[in-house]
Order: sequence, then structure tokens, then C-alpha cells
Amino acid sequence: MVKYHPDTNTLLEFAASSLPAAQSVVVSTHLQFCSECRQRLAQLESLGATMFEDAQPIDINPSVFDNVLARLDEVQEVHAANDANASTMSWTVKQIRKGNLDELDWKKVTRSLRIADLGEIEGAAEFSLYHIAEGGRIPQHNHSGTEMTLVLQGGFSDESGSYHAGDFIIREAGDIHAPTALPGSDCICLAVLEAPLRFTRWHHRWLSPLLQLRAG
Amino acid sequence: MVDKQGEGARGQPATSAWSVPQGRRTDEWSQCVVRIAEHRDRAAFGKFFSHFAPLIKAFALSGSSLSAAHADELVQEVMLKVWQKAAGFNPEKAAASTWVYTIARNCRTDMFRRLQKFDTQLEAEDVGFELEGAEPTMALHASRGAVRVRELMSDLPQDQAQILAKVYMEGKSHSETAAELGLPLGTVKSRVRLAIQKLQVFMDVGSEE
Ligand SMILES: [Zn+2]
Repeated sequence: MVKYHPDTNTLLEFAASSLPAAQSVVVSTHLQFCSECRQRLAQLESLGATMFEDAQPIDINPSVFDNVLARLDEVQEVHAANDANASTMSWTVKQIRKGNLDELDWKKVTRSLRIADLGEIEGAAEFSLYHIAEGGRIPQHNHSGTEMTLVLQGGFSDESGSYHAGDFIIREAGDIHAPTALPGSDCICLAVLEAPLRFTRWHHRWLSPLLQLRAG
Repeated sequence: MVDKQGEGARGQPATSAWSVPQGRRTDEWSQCVVRIAEHRDRAAFGKFFSHFAPLIKAFALSGSSLSAAHADELVQEVMLKVWQKAAGFNPEKAAASTWVYTIARNCRTDMFRRLQKFDTQLEAEDVGFELEGAEPTMALHASRGAVRVRELMSDLPQDQAQILAKVYMEGKSHSETAAELGLPLGTVKSRVRLAIQKLQVFMDVGSEE
């Protein structure tokens, strides 16, 4: 039974597709475990759809429709080509969603800890899987940015509580904790450490460099 | 064909879509998508285009985040996806308007990423979650919620409505919204939560909002 969920703000950013890619992977993986959040997402999406429908329509040049019509028949082929070009990161995310975790590149860190670094991704300083042997402990640490964690298998406990498969946990920058895997089975977690600079998305780089400087 | 259709084409279908409490949707736009899927019906596609393309363009240009040329490109991408994905549309599970909204949202995010040349290697679909309506009550909740949302939206304080528009229509994150409005992040977060509460978006879920 999932006990810890993304808050409304996080789920809404996910629903509006403004959450960075790494964090979106964590939220969407939580959704696989959690029907309550799937319902909440459906409702947040219908709110978005309502606002979309109520927008003031803007006239379209007829040539746009002609262009679309001319391209209808090529659509299937384009789609197939895209699949063939799927990136490594896209493959990695699919393995996580399917639970094929053995396929990933695990490195042994300590006797009870293995880590799979999932590579560079938008929004994250670190994007990785942790495998903690049952009863094993991660050394006490703090982080420079917000850390988002999802338990995939087993469970762990720290100073604030204990967490099981599907639980979604946020630790703010500066929080110190030392997670220990619960006894009984190994614990696997997906974790994203937020990139230190918050304003990395295109609006700021492209439209308002001054704003970015001030914000940074 | 792209020009304005007959009277009543806009506005009415939108509300009727939400007034179907549950089960298979029979509104104009959902039927349109079904005809596109089953018969590759170009007339139905043209009708769907003339209603939704101007909304997609408005969505693209919200907050002037894209140029007019990019907005037209987005309209084309979304409408091609509509044609391509129509077979996957299930009128039992979603309203056509919600379905096309999620396609437009994903395409726009992908375009944002391309324009900033951020090599994410991921598309919005890779990291998103496609709701399949597995929860039997979901459609009912969503439709009732939307009827209320429209009623309640007009009573929403301006500062909350403005933030919701930035978050949904402009696709801005909370941090970006805060920076643009010169507000603390915490204020944006709490206004969003207040708005969601006032609109009773989660009224049927029994969340701890
Ligand atoms: Zn949840």
C-alpha cells in the first residue's frame, strides 16, 4: 500500500508537462504503483483540457491545413524511423518502467550498496538507481539540492520514517539522512538529485537572460 | 474548409463533452476521432482541425513563448499525431478534448526542448504517463469535476487564475512562474494549491488536500 505521494504542486507540474525530464520519470514510475495519484492526474489533466478548450481561438492560415493534408500519408513511416532512433536514455527509462533492472550498468560501491548511474538528463545533477542489500546502510549524507526518491522494491527507513515499494519521498537541500534497507529483502530505489541551478529551462535562456542572471 | 464552420460549432460541443456523466462519449469531437480512426475519414479530420487547430495555436502562443511560425509548426505536428494516434483513442475512457490537449502539451514540451537545444534524448511521451482509464470511476470524476471547474473558475481570485494560466497554458514551472511574477516560490505554490482547492478538482478522490 503506497503511503507517500507527490504533492499537488509536483503532480500539477507533471500534468502540465513542466517538470524536468528526470523528475518526470520518478513521478510517472510512482503512477505505475498508485491508482490514487492516477486519478488525481486525470483530474488535473481535465482541468488543463478545460482551460485549453476555453482559450481564445486564433485563426489559422489555410495553407497550414493543406500542409497537414499533404503529409497524412507519410506519417506512419516517420513514426517507424523515430523508433529506430530511440536514444539510450529512452531505452533506460523503458527498462525502469518495465522493472528490467538487471539490464542496467550496476557498480559496486560498498559491500551492501550498488549504484547504477543512469546518465545525464535534464533537471538532474544525479540520476541513479540504488540497490541496498537487506539491512544495509547508506552512509549519512546531505545534499545540495532537492532529492526525489521512489522505492521500487523492498523498503528502507531513515530518521523520518520507513518507506516501501511505490513510496515517493522528497528530501530538501540540507536534510541529513542515513537510509537503512529494511530486513527481509534488498531495497532498490530510483533517485534524482536536482541540478543545483534551478533556472535551466528554455524560457529563461532564450527569452530572458537577465532574469536568469538575477535568479541564479 | 479551415474557415469557420456553421454556427454553434464552438462552445457547445465543449460543454456537452463534459455533460456525459460516464460510459462511451457521444459528443461531436469524440465521434469525429472515432470516424478518423475507423474510416480514415478526411472530412471528419477537416472538421476536427477547424475546431481544434485555432485552440492549439492559442495554446502555442500563450505567454508568447513561441513565434507564429513555430506555432503553425506545432499545429501541424499535433494534427498529424491526431491522425496517427486516432486508433488508440478510446471514447469510453477520455473526452476527445482531453486527448488532444495531452497531445498538444507533449508536442509543445518537445518543441521547447528542441528550441533550447537541450539534448535530453527523451520525448515528453517517454517520461509521461498515459492514463488508460483503468479506474472505473475516473471518467465520472473527471467529467463532473470539469462542469464544476467552469462554474468555479469565474469566481477564482485574479492572482490565482493568473498563476493557473501560466502553469497550464504557458507550460511554466512553478519556479519560472515565481521568477516572472517576482513572487517567492512558496507564494506560487500556495496559490496553486488554493486554486485547485477552490476549483474542487479533487473533490471526489478523498485526498488530504
Ligand atoms: Zn500516489
